Amino acid sequence: MTETTKLGLFTYDVKNGLGLIGYNVDDHEHAHIIVDTKKCGDCDSMMCVWGCPAQCYMFRDVGLEEMKFQYEDCVECGTCFLMCTDGALSWNHPRGGFGITYSQG
Amino acid sequence: MDDETDFDVIIIGAGFAGAATAFQLLKEGIEGDRILVVDRGEPIGSKNLTGGILWGRELDDFEEFLGNWEMDCPGIERAINHKKVGFLSSEDALFVEGKFASWDGTGGTEEPSQRASWSVLRAKADAWMAEKMEEAGIFVMPGMKIDQLHIDGLDPESYTARDLTDPAEDSGEGAAQKWKIDNFPKELVEKIRNGKIRGIVQDGEVMTSKMVVIAEGSNSILTRTYHFDSMLNAQSKEDLLLGVKEVIHLGKERIDERFNCFPGDEERPPSGMAMELALSLYRDMAHEAWKEYPVTDGLYPRCGGFFYTNRETVSCGIIVQLSSLPSGIHTYDLYQAFKEQPAIAALIEGGEAIEYGAHLCPEYGLHRMPHRFTRDGALVVGDAAGLVFANGMQIQGMNNALHSGKLAGKAIASCIANDDVSAKALDATYTKSLKASYIYRDLKRFEPATKFLNNPANFTWVPELVGKTANRVFREIGEEKVPAEKVLRQVRKEMRAKNKANKKGMGLFGMLKLALTGRKL
Repeated sequence: MTETTKLGLFTYDVKNGLGLIGYNVDDHEHAHIIVDTKKCGDCDSMMCVWGCPAQCYMFRDVGLEEMKFQYEDCVECGTCFLMCTDGALSWNHPRGGFGITYSQG
Repeated sequence: MDDETDFDVIIIGAGFAGAATAFQLLKEGIEGDRILVVDRGEPIGSKNLTGGILWGRELDDFEEFLGNWEMDCPGIERAINHKKVGFLSSEDALFVEGKFASWDGTGGTEEPSQRASWSVLRAKADAWMAEKMEEAGIFVMPGMKIDQLHIDGLDPESYTARDLTDPAEDSGEGAAQKWKIDNFPKELVEKIRNGKIRGIVQDGEVMTSKMVVIAEGSNSILTRTYHFDSMLNAQSKEDLLLGVKEVIHLGKERIDERFNCFPGDEERPPSGMAMELALSLYRDMAHEAWKEYPVTDGLYPRCGGFFYTNRETVSCGIIVQLSSLPSGIHTYDLYQAFKEQPAIAALIEGGEAIEYGAHLCPEYGLHRMPHRFTRDGALVVGDAAGLVFANGMQIQGMNNALHSGKLAGKAIASCIANDDVSAKALDATYTKSLKASYIYRDLKRFEPATKFLNNPANFTWVPELVGKTANRVFREIGEEKVPAEKVLRQVRKEMRAKNKANKKGMGLFGMLKLALTGRKL
C-alpha cells in the first residue's frame, strides 16, 4: 500500500478483506486449482490477475518475472478459469469440507 | 435386482433450487428417506454468497416445512419497502427512490398489500433451510463434493473429474478451448455426454438413484462436463458477472435510524432498503490501465453497484461484466471505488467490514441458455441452469431458483410414478413447464434489455450526463436560470468537447439507439 493516493484511483486492501473469511485449507497435494505457469509466460493480458478477487495470481503487475499462484486464499468463484486464454488452468472445487467458509454469505 | 436404487432422487446442492426441489418432492408424496441432498459446504451455506435480494413469496408454498420463514429464518434479513435505483459518477449521485406502503404488507393500501422482497444472507439462510429439510425427514449430507455422475454401464474409474474439466495439453493461445476429454475414445465421450445417469460417485463409491438433480449454483462444473451447458461456453466470459461485496456491520439501531427503517415487531420483520446503481466511477482507473496495458485499450469496466440493508449489517458491493474488465484493474479495486464514492461512503460510515467475498452470477438471458435442461435420469435447476433475470432495475435469481426447483420436483415425481425418467419424459414435463413459467416469459420479454444493459454508454457518459445535468438544474449559484433541457444540451456539448471518446459515443445516433433499446426495459 505504498502508492500515493490519487483522485479517481482506488486500492482495496484485499489481504485485510480475505482475513475476514474463514478457510479450511487443504494440503498442497489436493490443491483444487493447478496452474501450469509455463503457459503464462507469453500472456499479455494476465486476465486471471485482474479478475481474481482474492489476489491468488501475481505476476508482472507486482514486478514478478514468473507467474506466482497460490490457492490458499481462493474464494472459489471460478473467474480465473473463465479468464484464462492459454489453457493453463486445471480448475475444480476443493474437496468437500475444505476451502472457504462464509459465515454471512 | 435391477430396479433397486439407493435413493429415488439425489440432489446436488442445498441452495434454494435444491431445497425447493426436495420440498416439492415431499409434497408430491416421495418419502423423505428416498431423497438425498448433498452439498460441498460444511456447514451447509458456507459456500454460498448472494448480492442479494429474494423477490417474491415462493417460499410460502413450503409453509408446512418452513413455518413462518419470514420471521424465523435467520438469513432472511429485512423486508424491503424502500427501493433506490440511480446513477453514480465520481462526483455526482442521482437516485430515483421509492418508499412503498403496500410493500409493508400491513394492509390499507390501494395497491395489493404484500411483503415480497427481502435482503438475504445465504450462509445463514441455507443452513436454516438444511435444518428444515432434515426435520422433514430428508437425508442431508454436508461437506460432500460430487465430481462424477454415475452413468449406466460406465466404470467411473475409466475417467477422472479432472479429465472432464482440464484443457488439452496442446491447448493455448488461439486453441484455448480444447479439452483433454476431446482426445478420449469416442464411445467413452458419448457415454459421458449422453449415457443414462443413475446416481453419483463419491471417492470411487457409487450411490445410485432414479434421478439426479444438479443444483450446484453458478459456476456449476457438472452442468458443463455432463453437457447440459456446452464446454464451448466453459471459458466464455460473455454474460457472466462477478459480484464482489463486503458485509459491513453497523448494528441494528444504527441501520434502523440511518435508513429510516421499521424496527420490526412480533408479527412483522424489520423493514429495509435495496439499492441498485449504474456506475461510472472508473474513468481515471481505466485511462491509467490502458496506458500501462494497451492490450485492452479502450475497454471500460461495466459495473453495477448494489447496497442492501440486513438486520445488523449492510451488503455493499459491485457486479462487473467480466467481458468488460480491462487489464490493469483489479476487480476488488472496482469495489473500493464504489465504497469510497461519497454517497456510499456516507451510508457505511462508522461501519466495520465483517466479511468479504465474491461469486459469479450467470446473467445468460435466452440467447445463452444451456442447450438442454435434462438428460436421461438427470436435470438441472436454478443458477446452474443460468436462470437469472436482469433488466437493470432488478436482478432476480433466487426466486427463479425456487420456482425451477418446484417445477423439477413436480416433474420428477410424475416421471418416477410413470417409471420413465428419460430425457424425453423430463422434457415433456420439466422443460415444458419451465418454458411456460414466468421465468422463461420474463427472460424472453426482457431479452432486448440485455443489449441496452451491455451498452457501454450506461457505464460511461450516461451517469455523468445525468448527474451533471441534475447538479446544475437543482443548484442555485446566483446565475440566470436555464431550463433543464438546455442544461442537458450544454452538458452534452461540454462533455463531447472534453473527451474524444464522448464525441462519438454521445452523437445523436448513439443517443437515439440507446433510447430505443432502453424502451424495452
